[in-house]
Amino acid sequence: MISLAFHNLFQNKIRMVISVGGVALALLLILSLDAIFSGVEKRVTAYIDHSGADIWVSQDDVFNMHMASSSLPDSVARKVKTVEGVASVSPIMYLTNNVVAGDERNLAYIIGLPENAKFGIPWKVLGGRDLPEEGEVVMDRSVAEKSGIGLGDDVEILGEEFEVIGLAGETSSLTNSIAFISSKDFEKMRKSYGTFSFLLVKVNKGESPEAVAARIEQKVKDITAQTRIQFAAQERKVIKDMSTDVITIMNLIGFLIGLAVMALTVYTSILSRRREYGMLKALGARNKDLYFTVLAQAIISVVLGFLFGLSITALLTAALPLIASSLILEIRFTSLLKVGGFSLIIAVVSAVIPIRQIADLDPAMVFRGK
Amino acid sequence: MTLPATNETLKITHITKRYGSGTTEVTAVRDVSLSVSAGEIVLIMGPSGSGKTTLLSMLGALLKPTEGTIQLNGTVLSALAEDQLPNIRLKQFGFVFQDFNLLSALTALENVAIVAELAGTKSGEAKRKAASILTELGLSERLHFLPEKLSGGEKQRVAIARALVNNPSLILADEPTANLDSKIGHEIMRLLRHIAKEQGRSVVIVSHDQRIKDIADRILWLEDGEFKEMVTT
Repeated sequence: MISLAFHNLFQNKIRMVISVGGVALALLLILSLDAIFSGVEKRVTAYIDHSGADIWVSQDDVFNMHMASSSLPDSVARKVKTVEGVASVSPIMYLTNNVVAGDERNLAYIIGLPENAKFGIPWKVLGGRDLPEEGEVVMDRSVAEKSGIGLGDDVEILGEEFEVIGLAGETSSLTNSIAFISSKDFEKMRKSYGTFSFLLVKVNKGESPEAVAARIEQKVKDITAQTRIQFAAQERKVIKDMSTDVITIMNLIGFLIGLAVMALTVYTSILSRRREYGMLKALGARNKDLYFTVLAQAIISVVLGFLFGLSITALLTAALPLIASSLILEIRFTSLLKVGGFSLIIAVVSAVIPIRQIADLDPAMVFRGK
Repeated sequence: MTLPATNETLKITHITKRYGSGTTEVTAVRDVSLSVSAGEIVLIMGPSGSGKTTLLSMLGALLKPTEGTIQLNGTVLSALAEDQLPNIRLKQFGFVFQDFNLLSALTALENVAIVAELAGTKSGEAKRKAASILTELGLSERLHFLPEKLSGGEKQRVAIARALVNNPSLILADEPTANLDSKIGHEIMRLLRHIAKEQGRSVVIVSHDQRIKDIADRILWLEDGEFKEMVTT
C-alpha cells in the first residue's frame, strides 16, 4: 500500500509541488527563524567566549552584559587578586552606545581596555592593530564597510572623535557590534575614575574555575562571580527570554500554514480518488490498509517538505554570512527535532479528515456508478 | 422461486432487502432464491430499478439482506460479522465493474498485484502472479502501461486479471460490456466464458446487453425485485 501512496502522490505533479512546496515553506519559516536566533545567540556571546577569561566578576546581582550595567570599585580587583587560585585579573569597562560614522549610527558594546590588555581584546583583527590607545578605536569591519569608513577615518562615540586604527571580525550580530577603546578614554567620557565594569579572571593551571568563582564570592562582598560558561549561558538566556514570544508565534504560524496546506492537499487528493478507495473497499481492502495509504501519503509529503525546507535553510546558512557578516545562521539538532516533530503532527492531523471520509465510504457505491 | 443447481458455489435462499421503514419502506429485492454451480455462467437481466444493483451488492457481500441467507461454498455470508466480510470478498470473490475501476496511478501490473498483496501475498510473488495472468489474457506488452494508455478492452482485461489474481470461486460482473464496442464486448464475454469453463469458476453477470445472452448458461429476468422467468441456453 505504500507504493500506492507514492504513486498517488507523484501522479499529480502540480498537487505534489503545492503540497511539498507549501510544507517546505512553512517548515523553512520555522527552521530559518530557529537558525537565525541560534546564530544570534552564538554571536551574542562571541565576546565572552573569546575573552580568554575563566571567570567573569560583576557587580552583585549582575549576571550578563546585554542591557545590563555593572560597576565595581578598584578595591574589588585587589581583593579578587588575593583569592587562592587566581592567576591574573583584568578589568574592562563596558556600556552600550552608538558608534556614529557620518549619518550612520550603529549600536555597539563599547569596551574600555587597559594598556597592554591580554584578555577581552579583539580576537580576529582583519586590518590595523588590536589594542587602541587614547583617541583610537577598533571597530567591526562589516559595520565600518556599511558606514563607508576604513582605517584612518574618524567615528564619534559619546560625543568624542576616535580614529579607526583596527578592524575586527566576528564582532557584529543582528542586534549590535563591539567597539574597543582605551580605558583612559572611557574614564574621561564617563567620568568614572577608579571604577570598572567587569573583571576578567584567569585561574592557575589545574584550578577549577567553578571552585575559584565560589571562593571569590565567599571572600569578596557585593559581587557576582561566574565561570565564563555560566556567564555566556546567562547572556544567551536574556536573548532567549526576549525572543521566546516571537519564536513561539512564528512557530505557530509556520505550523498552521503547514497544517493548512497539507490538510487541503491531502483532502482534495483523497476526494478526487473517492471512487478508487470505494472500489478497493469493495474488493476487500480493510479500512486500516486504506488509512495507512492516506497516512503514508501525508508522511511522504511532509518528509519531502522537511528535507526541502532543511536544504534551503542549509543553503541560507552558508550563503547569508557572505552577504551580511552580522547575520549568521546555525541549524541546531534540537531545532531539527522540533521541526521533525511538527512535521509528523502535521502529517497525522492532516490525514484525520480524509481517513474519516474513507471510513464512511460505502463500498457498494461501485455498483451504483458513484 | 428456487432455481436449483448441482455442485453449488453460491446459494441464496429467500433473500429480501427492504430500505426505510413504515410508509417510506421500499422492497428492492423480494424473496429471491438462486443456486449457481461451479463453472456456471448466470446472466441476470432486467429493467432499471428492478433491484439488480441491490441483488449484486448482496451477492458480493457488500450489503446484508433483510431476510434470507446467502451461502458461498457452504459459508453463510449473511451470518458473518462485518469485519470478516472484507477477507471473504478479497479471497473468494472476483469483481468486474462497468467502468473498469482501475487505480489511475498504478500500471496494469500494479493494479492486479495490489489485490494479491491485500490478500497477504508478498510483493514480489504478487507481481509474478499478476504478470502471469495478464500474459495469459494477452497483455504481456501492456504490463507497465497506466490505465489511461490502455484501450477499453485492455482495461477490462486488466480488471478481469485483477478479479482472478486471488483465485476466487465466484466472479461477479456488473455490466462488463457497457463501455465497450460490440466486438470487444463479445471478446470479453468469450474470455469470461473460457475462464468459467476452463477454471471451473462460477460467474454471475448483471447486464442490459442483449448481445451477450449467448454466452450464459442461464438467463434470469429480474423485475420489481423478483425473478420472473428463467432461460437455460
